[in-house]
Amino acid sequence: MSWLLERVDDRLIHGQVVVAWGGRLHPGRIWVVDDAAAQSPWERDLLTSAAPGVEVRVVTVAEAAAGYAAEATAQGGAFLLLRDLESALALVEAGAGIRTLTLGGLHYAPGKTKVNEYVYLDAADRGRARRLLERGVSLEVQDVPASRPQPLTALDPEMAAP
Amino acid sequence: MRGPVPALLVMHADLAAALLRAASQVYGPVEGVEVLSNDGQSRDQLEQQIARRVERWTDGGLVLTDFWGGSCHLSGMAAARGHGDIVIVTGLNLPTLVDYLHNRDQYPPLELAERLRAKGRDSIRLHHALPA
Repeated sequence: MSWLLERVDDRLIHGQVVVAWGGRLHPGRIWVVDDAAAQSPWERDLLTSAAPGVEVRVVTVAEAAAGYAAEATAQGGAFLLLRDLESALALVEAGAGIRTLTLGGLHYAPGKTKVNEYVYLDAADRGRARRLLERGVSLEVQDVPASRPQPLTALDPEMAAP
Repeated sequence: MRGPVPALLVMHADLAAALLRAASQVYGPVEGVEVLSNDGQSRDQLEQQIARRVERWTDGGLVLTDFWGGSCHLSGMAAARGHGDIVIVTGLNLPTLVDYLHNRDQYPPLELAERLRAKGRDSIRLHHALPA
């Protein structure tokens, strides 16, 4: 299994990913799955330069869905980074066989309520999270490897199983 | 003759404010340097916060951040885009910040940034105390 970390974080590549997770798991590749970034040459260049020594691929949801299974059996280990639950659900619905998603940073915006210090969700997010759970994807809240992963359903009263 | 190159420190947790406080103990009172933390901010939010500050710079400036690949660096790059002669410097430390303060009215932004990079590299040294 080559996918070492599959993470939802509105910062995409940033310090916790490069320093904390990267320093622990040493991925050979980082897939940034984001339609907007993939279509912007400037954003692509910025993200590919962000993790020295690691190959960064900035791809659309459709490209990631197409390449997901091959990467899962490839050598070297990879991170998959998604900006939000909307693209996460789109990727799963497009056929990527994701088993666990780590919610590592979904920051406050108007209309979102607090789950913990670094995860805030609104009704649409929770709807997408439920659909991911229905598809058998585990949702774990965890910012850095040294902190304990906690199921979203245990942390967020609004996501508790009925 | 241009005035001092302005700078914005953008770092994790309280590092920017602490670094500036430490610099003022070594250098003396510091004016014209702003600080910002990335605490609890998405990349877009941090980008907007940085943009609001750098867009006031009429003749370029430096965004000083803690490490390459962090949100401070990447948001800084995004915010600086289209705002003239702005250089992002990553890996800032105290000797580098003090060197900036001493030289900010001597060089244009890119030359000053290159000087800080050299200063930063030179500032990390080993001094091995052998057992007696």
